[in-house]
Amino acid sequence: MARLLSLPGIPPLLACLGLLVVWDILARVFMISGLAPPLEALGQIPGILSDPEALINIADSLKRMAIGFVLALAVAMPIGLWMGRSRLAAAFFNPLFMVIYPVPKAALMPIIMLWLGVGDASKVLVIFLGVSLPVVYHSFQGARAVEEKMLWSAAAMGVGPVGRMLRIVLPTTMPEIMVGCRTGLVLALITMVTSEMIARQTGIGNIFFTALDMAQYNDVYAMIIIIGILGFVCDWAFEAVRRWLVSWADSAHEIAVGSA
Amino acid sequence: MDAVIEKTAIPASANGKTQLMQESSDEMIEISAVSKTYNTSQRGSHLALDDVNLTIKEGQFVSILGPSGCGKSTLLYMVGGFVDVSAGSIKVKGAPVTGPGPDRGPVFQEFALFPWKTVLENVMYGPLEQGMPKKDAIARARELLTLVHLSKFENFYPKELSGGMKQRVALARTLAYKPSILLMDEPFGALDAYTRTRLQNELLDIWERDRKTVMFITHSVEEAVFLSDRVYVMTPSPGHIRKVYDIDLPRPRIRSDLLLDRRYQDYVVSIERLMDEQDKEP
Amino acid sequence: MNAIAWRRTITELAAGAVPVLCILVPWYILSAGHFVAPSLLPSPVAVFVRFFQLLGDPQFLQNVGVTLFRLFTGFGIAVVLGVGIGILAVGSRTMGSIVKPLVRVLAPLPKIALYPALVLTLGFDHSSKVALVVADALFPILLATYQGAASVDPKLVWSARAAGTSQTKCLFTVVLMAALPSILTGARIGLVISCIVVFLAEMITSTDGLGQLLVKAGRTFQTVDMFVPIITISLLGLGLNGLFNLLSARLLIGFSTRA
Repeated sequence: MARLLSLPGIPPLLACLGLLVVWDILARVFMISGLAPPLEALGQIPGILSDPEALINIADSLKRMAIGFVLALAVAMPIGLWMGRSRLAAAFFNPLFMVIYPVPKAALMPIIMLWLGVGDASKVLVIFLGVSLPVVYHSFQGARAVEEKMLWSAAAMGVGPVGRMLRIVLPTTMPEIMVGCRTGLVLALITMVTSEMIARQTGIGNIFFTALDMAQYNDVYAMIIIIGILGFVCDWAFEAVRRWLVSWADSAHEIAVGSA
Repeated sequence: MDAVIEKTAIPASANGKTQLMQESSDEMIEISAVSKTYNTSQRGSHLALDDVNLTIKEGQFVSILGPSGCGKSTLLYMVGGFVDVSAGSIKVKGAPVTGPGPDRGPVFQEFALFPWKTVLENVMYGPLEQGMPKKDAIARARELLTLVHLSKFENFYPKELSGGMKQRVALARTLAYKPSILLMDEPFGALDAYTRTRLQNELLDIWERDRKTVMFITHSVEEAVFLSDRVYVMTPSPGHIRKVYDIDLPRPRIRSDLLLDRRYQDYVVSIERLMDEQDKEP
Repeated sequence: MNAIAWRRTITELAAGAVPVLCILVPWYILSAGHFVAPSLLPSPVAVFVRFFQLLGDPQFLQNVGVTLFRLFTGFGIAVVLGVGIGILAVGSRTMGSIVKPLVRVLAPLPKIALYPALVLTLGFDHSSKVALVVADALFPILLATYQGAASVDPKLVWSARAAGTSQTKCLFTVVLMAALPSILTGARIGLVISCIVVFLAEMITSTDGLGQLLVKAGRTFQTVDMFVPIITISLLGLGLNGLFNLLSARLLIGFSTRA
């Protein structure tokens, strides 16, 4: 029994089961109003997933998340790398980022909606902002730490500045960038969900609040479970890509994943 | 009062008392057939100590000498009740050791002072835990700080002190709750040579006053011979007792005299030779 | 304060002012130069004037109070729970084996997704916001406490036990104090998270509070009034951070200043 318990996947699995049991007890035995029992919530999931409107909403949300994420990578990674190698760039961008960091990007939604309307653009922008910060930070830190001597050797071999950036700095910084991307991915999910809860026209946030308004409580919990699963799937997919890209640098990166 | 030098006799102390050889219930610390095995996930099981037997009488200053990693500190921790025994038994005053307690006060190489407390608060800690009222605890702490020449520093924090000063505070802290046994784990190992010799002298001065039982761990042959009544030499890992030396040198021990004393030199040389032999063994 | 300390304080203040200026200056230029319509981007002057005006408005202050109340209650509960569970998880192997897998499962989940459920079960008033703050701020504090407590030098505990302290008392006096630097780091992160989360929750559903003011102003297109809550929460965040640092410095006297 003890041997079974010490297998790597088992304790978290037991934890999940334990939580579900507690949830079930709270819902059925204590009859907390508004709390749907887990089985009923789970039962709603097929219904939601086969409803075309719901699927469109979910696909919309994922699309926005993906666009925001990719745009952020495309913009933030180069800036971060540049900051890491150029003191001037760092001095210029650093104060800017320091101010933006504590502001919750989703909170800017109403203002951004004023400017960009209620369509996709505002949500993508917010996700873009949310993801950019960790990616910039980690690209910056990673690029900073590249050993000078490696670059000198490359320069001596005749590699120009752009070449050095692409062929030395970028690969060396990859592990650190991956850490930034992972945080960014988490933030993308969170920002997406939050911004859609604030502006509820379409997407996952819309499903949530329609269900709330129509007192379809089971749907609300089903959606929560779906988001949780989405989070796990994204994380697992990311880990696979990361391992493929940077398996050579696998150290114990215990990443305390942020929240909010 | 001549001291009769037998295997387990102790020389007459400075104030004229002699310890007579008595039954085993007089032993302060009895270590019988003690072994210690560590189980790590990476390397499987590792035998640190193997069938260690030794006894320490009340009022004796005993050193355990050995190379790094031979398990001598582990032995000390087991007497202190901080680490469990894998096999064998450890008895203090006839009763088996079940855990830490104020009868066995430790002094560690890294000082282990509480960083969030001032020097005075550190030294007061033991008496307060014993239930002493605060005023009395402060008075007792001040007494001890005077003893270790640190009265002026009572409101300093440990981080503001040098290594030697920190160790003096650590000693004062342990003495404050009046343990009958002092367990000292290479207490001067982290200090420079000059501070080390000064503290050795101070330790002996303090010890002469009430002659507590001391179990002293060291890897320095000279330190062991200079301080102790008896020296146990341990083998490298898995450690057990290789040889025992009774140190028959007069007290109080004065360094400048001893350095020229033939017997002191003989002790040091024979133990050094023994350790050299051990090094050469596979 | 002597000359050196003065110079250091002024340098620090100046360094802190640079980011603020980086926002204010472009903002002012954009609006004063009429590059953007005032209905979209009001001038910073107008916003600050309105801010100071509202500072005298009892209703505004009440909203600020409500937000602060939820923030502190949530943060306080998160600290007590986080530190308590973290310490217990280190001290007791059973607790540890229960807590660790639970944390591994729950920590990566975006707690904001739970918010609709919290609203359903706890209502639209304070409790749902406080609960969300607790859910989000708990984990950094718990993790920091656990890591700090697990890496306490055992010799500190041994010294205390030899002096006569019981194992349980050691946990909550020696281990907790020795882990304090770690705990305070986690608590600072928790504080920032609390500020952010309470604001967001109020934006999503609330009848009062700073976040709700922002959304309400947005619905009625009162742009200046939209910027005021953001300024307020940012100032509050900065102020609380500063206070926290002062408190930290006091509590950590005696600990060496290692980064």
